[in-house]
Amino acid sequence: MLKSLVPAGRGSVATSVALIGAILLFALYAANFSPGIFAITLLSGLLRAMLLFLVAAGLSLIFGLMDILNFAQGGYFMLGAYITFDIVHPDAGVIPFGGFISDPTLRFAFAIMVATLVGAALGYVLERGLLRPLYKRALFQLVLTFGVSIILLEVVKFLWGPSPYSWTVRLPIQEAQFRIFDTPFSTYRLFVIAMGLLLMAGVTVLLRRTRIGIIIRAGVQDPEMVSALGINVRAVFTLVFTLGCALAAFGGGVAVPFLGATNSLGSTFLLASIAVIVLGGLGSFEGTAVGSVVVGLGWAAMEQFSARPEIGTVLASMSPMLLLALVLLLRPKGLFGEDR
Amino acid sequence: MTPILETRSLTKAFGGLVAVNDVSIQVEEGSTHAVIGPNGAGKTTLFNLLCGNFKPTSGRVFYRGQDITNVPLHQRAHLGIGRSFQIINLFPNLTVLENVRLAAQALGHDNFRIFRRASTIVSYVARAAEALEIVGLQGQASVPASVLPHGGKRKLELAILLAADPKLLLLDEPTAGMASEQVPELMQIIERVRSLGGRTIVIVEHNMNVVMNACDRITVMNLGQVLAEGTPAEIGANKQVQDVYLGELYDLPGAHA
Amino acid sequence: MAQNRLTRFLRSEWIYIVSSVLLVLFPHIVGWMTDSSPFGVQRGTRYIMSGSAVYWMSILIDIFALSVLVMSYNLMFGFTGVISFGHAMFFGLGGYLLGIVTQMTGLPPDIAFIAGVALVIVVSAVLGLGIGFATLRLRGVYFAIFTLAVSEMVLIYFGRWAVTGGEDGFALSTIPVWIDAAQSRINLYYVSLALFAGTFVFIRRLVNSPAGAVFKAIRENEMRAQAIGFNTLRFKLLSITIASVLGGLAGIIHALLAKKIGPEMLNVSHTVDALLMTIIGGVGTFTGPILGASGLTLADVLLREATVSIGSLTIDIGDSWLLILGLIFVLVVLIFPFGIVGTWNRLRMRFTRR
Ligand SMILES: Nc1ncnc2c1ncn2[C@@H]1O[C@H](COP(=O)(O)OP(=O)(O)OP(=O)(O)O)[C@@H](O)[C@H]1O
Ligand SMILES: [Mg+2]
Repeated sequence: MLKSLVPAGRGSVATSVALIGAILLFALYAANFSPGIFAITLLSGLLRAMLLFLVAAGLSLIFGLMDILNFAQGGYFMLGAYITFDIVHPDAGVIPFGGFISDPTLRFAFAIMVATLVGAALGYVLERGLLRPLYKRALFQLVLTFGVSIILLEVVKFLWGPSPYSWTVRLPIQEAQFRIFDTPFSTYRLFVIAMGLLLMAGVTVLLRRTRIGIIIRAGVQDPEMVSALGINVRAVFTLVFTLGCALAAFGGGVAVPFLGATNSLGSTFLLASIAVIVLGGLGSFEGTAVGSVVVGLGWAAMEQFSARPEIGTVLASMSPMLLLALVLLLRPKGLFGEDR
Repeated sequence: MTPILETRSLTKAFGGLVAVNDVSIQVEEGSTHAVIGPNGAGKTTLFNLLCGNFKPTSGRVFYRGQDITNVPLHQRAHLGIGRSFQIINLFPNLTVLENVRLAAQALGHDNFRIFRRASTIVSYVARAAEALEIVGLQGQASVPASVLPHGGKRKLELAILLAADPKLLLLDEPTAGMASEQVPELMQIIERVRSLGGRTIVIVEHNMNVVMNACDRITVMNLGQVLAEGTPAEIGANKQVQDVYLGELYDLPGAHA
Repeated sequence: MAQNRLTRFLRSEWIYIVSSVLLVLFPHIVGWMTDSSPFGVQRGTRYIMSGSAVYWMSILIDIFALSVLVMSYNLMFGFTGVISFGHAMFFGLGGYLLGIVTQMTGLPPDIAFIAGVALVIVVSAVLGLGIGFATLRLRGVYFAIFTLAVSEMVLIYFGRWAVTGGEDGFALSTIPVWIDAAQSRINLYYVSLALFAGTFVFIRRLVNSPAGAVFKAIRENEMRAQAIGFNTLRFKLLSITIASVLGGLAGIIHALLAKKIGPEMLNVSHTVDALLMTIIGGVGTFTGPILGASGLTLADVLLREATVSIGSLTIDIGDSWLLILGLIFVLVVLIFPFGIVGTWNRLRMRFTRR
């Protein structure tokens, strides 16, 4: 672990620590120094960080490996949200199954599974069917993923209509709450944070400890070298693409109970995730993980701060971009960035 | 007389790897100076420090007695330092003529004239045509650089350098990757430039015949450091260079004797 | 000799000359063909903007504005190799600044209009230059994303700013009669045509100039351009600044035609449109951006009203227009690997070589 931090440079770690420290201080100030509100702000920030991470992880690996900014990544998040919503709410939807599981919690788990699988399948199709013929022409792949993102959005609008849905089926896990400094917080959200952290650790282990992970990391450094070693880089591309899209769809699935299913989910999360991976430093997975935490916490702190009537919500909506611009001015290649 | 080019304790480290380590050399004006050494010795990195592509970790570079360590890449061209690249480094989708014309234009005063057609500024076009003629590419002036064969790209690389008419030429393996029967032609071109006089050439070259016959001085590098320096005769006779290095690397006739 | 030059000029430029003449006559030709007046229908002393000729002029004005936006983007992206994701900001600011000056300063309309246009030019130039300077250490994707961040912040700001009507935006009502789209659309048509043609000629001259040669050198290989003695930063700033000003002017035309300004003008989708139309038309070609912009605008107009019936199933194309747009992107990218003009040039070259 320590070794991996060395090439990133001491500046990366120091800047990240200082940045997160500053955000925490700001959050404390925004919470009017009330421990309860501060704790809730932190938890909301972490929650957002985990959702961002689920979209950004795929974005980051795909960019590192293939030099494509996958504009469709947000679309997979949105699709995951809609599919999960639909299966759990049998009356609202277009997907004819789901009703046969009567226990809502089980149905929810099943729905997330379906969403993840659909995400994986569509990711596979996108890479194999459309991107592969354009291999080596990154610019055109960018246009293509953009075209696909429009198609995904339009398909969702066609199937579910343009107006937002809010979650109505009450799951026991959603109702449960716990108190921290006498302030209530939903157990389900804590559960999502834990799951996000687990996945973060899981992907890190996958990248560091397994053979395929080492190939992926080597590929991010230098794809030509890896294929020169006789490894089938394209199969690795497909795998990473599939995995990345599955993670995004999974993220949409777990987030839909509190975010609701709306057409704008995709673009909101796409933009914020782009901010995350660039601020973290392109091509660095640690950077993406740290970047999600920075953006998530900063965003939540700013939202808390904007709750004061004299501030207004402008700053809160701007915060991912504001953080991004700030970091790039301090470190032109992002927190953990390398030459690219 | 002050040397045209001088380095003092020049050092460049990439992370833990010290690619150029405490190199101090002097190049006399008007001379042809070879830098040789095995792969990875740090020759290209040294050139990158000389032309301003890299900032040194420590040490200084002097040009005609003036400290140019902090002069950026693009200004060094204006001082009369020109460089060719070991790895083909052209403007691939521009025509051969455009590639060379750009080099001629760079040092002039018309760069920001935005309403003049570049192709009608006669002096640059003429200079470019002249450089193309020297290297023998005049017949291919209007094809994109990317479609030239490798040998043609090497010639173009040289023509770009000549069009700017630098006083100090840094040639990094000008024949790299060329078929051996094409090498003499290119070396003749370089020889012709040298015989025009008034120019100083620093050249990295693996062909020992060329180095021994055409150069005034030789610097031998190994593992980032200067192993030896002297006239071809001195280097040829240097026991250390011979034993440790020249013999096995270049299989110099007589080195094993 | 002079005559020789003239015939050479005519021979190489005839297609542009014919197009210009057609575009100048266009309102009258359409008016004559559809038996409607390009000046609109007279009611008392006013003219009401209705009829086919007026309708088709609006479409062309739209195409002109969009083409200027795409051409300016192509100058940066296609000729200089600088990818920006923030170009919509200049388009939107063009509209907002003009609107703020004409609606909110209380100056007489003519003066306010001229002041507004001047302000757009100055602010776009300063902002373009400023972003270029602030980001001079940023390269490639980092620059692109930084511009995206700045432009998104501007969008969010105007979306919430009460003075400009927040999300709803505001109407552009006090503009001089002579360029008011609701009273003299034909004048707006000729002004836009002039901007369009001027931009085309200007970019062609610029790209063929010594500075343009350096732009292309930067696109091809920035480090080598520096090595032969160009201070590439200056040329990139020049390209970015010119593109920003042209983007702002395109926004002015768009706002004048729509007579309404809102945050949607700042939406990143305008940047993406510009990027995609450049790529679809042909990166680094002169006519590609125009082809991309007019092709997509016309497709939008023609298909929006159309319906397709397959058996008993009737599909309203207008409703699925964006879906079709997405499919068009995907297909064009797969079929025309170098954009339309780029693929055409390559084919032509292949046939003339034989
Ligand atoms: N940009 C760089 N980043 C990291 N290491 C580098 C970089 N450039 C060169 N090196 C390393 O520095 C060392 C010296 O390389 P250099 O290219 O200068 O050798 P050279 O003498 O030119 O070799 P050759 O004869 O193969 O051209 C090598 O180990 C190389 O891997
Ligand atoms: Mg070398």
